[in-house]
Amino acid sequence: MDTLDTGRHISGQFNTELDTVRNHVMNMGGLVEQQLKEALTSVSDNNEELAKKVLSSDYKINRMEVAIDEECTRIIAKRQPAASDLRLVMAIIKTIADLERIADEAEKISRVALEQFSSKQQDMLLSLDNLGRLVLSTLHDTLDAFTRMDFDMALKVHQSDNRIDREYEALMRLLMTYMMEDPRSIPSIMSVIWSARALERIGDRCQNICEYVIYFVKGKVIRHISEEDVARDFLGK
Amino acid sequence: MIDIKPEIFMPNEEIIDINNLTNEQVALEINNLNLHYGDKQALNNISMKIPKGQVTAFIGPSGCGKSTLLRCINRMNDLIDICNIDGEINLHGENIYNKHINVAELRRKVGMVFQRPNPFPKSIYENVVYGLRLIGQKNRRVLDEACERALKAAALWDEVKDRIHDSALGLSGGQQQRLVIARAIAIEPEVLLLDEPTSALDPISTLVIEELINDLKEKYTVVIVTHNMQQAARVSDQTAFMYMGDLIEYSDTNTLFTTPAKKKTEDYITGRYG
Repeated sequence: MDTLDTGRHISGQFNTELDTVRNHVMNMGGLVEQQLKEALTSVSDNNEELAKKVLSSDYKINRMEVAIDEECTRIIAKRQPAASDLRLVMAIIKTIADLERIADEAEKISRVALEQFSSKQQDMLLSLDNLGRLVLSTLHDTLDAFTRMDFDMALKVHQSDNRIDREYEALMRLLMTYMMEDPRSIPSIMSVIWSARALERIGDRCQNICEYVIYFVKGKVIRHISEEDVARDFLGK
Repeated sequence: MIDIKPEIFMPNEEIIDINNLTNEQVALEINNLNLHYGDKQALNNISMKIPKGQVTAFIGPSGCGKSTLLRCINRMNDLIDICNIDGEINLHGENIYNKHINVAELRRKVGMVFQRPNPFPKSIYENVVYGLRLIGQKNRRVLDEACERALKAAALWDEVKDRIHDSALGLSGGQQQRLVIARAIAIEPEVLLLDEPTSALDPISTLVIEELINDLKEKYTVVIVTHNMQQAARVSDQTAFMYMGDLIEYSDTNTLFTTPAKKKTEDYITGRYG
């Protein structure tokens, strides 16, 4: 937590408020991670029960988003945060929006578990699960980077997103082959496509969160900048 | 991964509903207070309840009556000849404007700190114990203890403990202001009135005093007048916005600074006033 330095304001109250809101974001992140994990498990185990649990838990995350938003509003109104404090609050506001959307994507994924698949289609689910695991570990790393406000980790995760994109494209090609082989399977394959798409989007949102971490630590915006430029700016390559 | 109950996300600080205070929660009750300076009316029918153990801030543009109202609470306006007051201010259910109230005794219960630090030209020690000596305390040990306690409460002890018999005038402005606060709390008042306590201080000393105010509310009811509305936002639990002698809006600080109910309040706190 050294990079954060939130505990050194003269106002103890301000310290507490910043720490509290950060803790709330971490809790929210934990819950989102759990939602995604359970959504993926529900699909790979074809566990309808678990899928329904995911669907019925999303409201918690929505509520957290609203509560954290309000906390941030209060902090801005009452403390007039500046410099790194301001960047932290901005990063938090943006992060929770992405976390909330990640939870929505998890909800979409869990809907696949409510579909029926023939035994022939199982390897398609396996590929989906592969992509899912990759995305889940990316989310985990992202939350880790956020918790520690770890610049190096954020940059690493940010640059690893193209792995997800490659997996996603490979899965798409596979699914297209299936559809061409057996058009009757298109409806159920469509739902797999949607959840693969959801996973790919989660990867993008993780990338966003890493951008906010980098913004907090370095005060630099790396959105809409090519990877080469980012590498040159930060790694001196 | 922890299973989180969303309930924990409700704001953990207790927000008191000032429109629904129980008698125990009220420190001061102001009822239909009108004040005239000669022909000019400076306060128009003010009614409000100030909760115990909290920081209440009065904000508003110059001349809106906030300092006047604050000064009414320990009858400072008595000193002004042309000043006429009607209405009541109740402390413990008794109107402080009753004939038989001993004003010196009242001011012991309701301490006050002004805009500019006004230490007496005496030692730090003598400044702090001044009030106690005034009420007849002679026991050296009691005075020593009270001095240390008050200086610690005012977050000044560590800075001056080796030189409490040096002149108070040698302290910096911020230290002097904390000294004056220590002097005010040495006699253990119930209510502490602060009239722009940081307007003569630099930003860091200001933050130190603000943090001190936050600590003080554990023991005292604090009422603060400030020109600096960000300060009100930072330190207070309740905020009252006054304008031209009227109490426009009085609510908890979080609400007042995020979603004020009145247009005038909104204009003032967003800098659109005037």
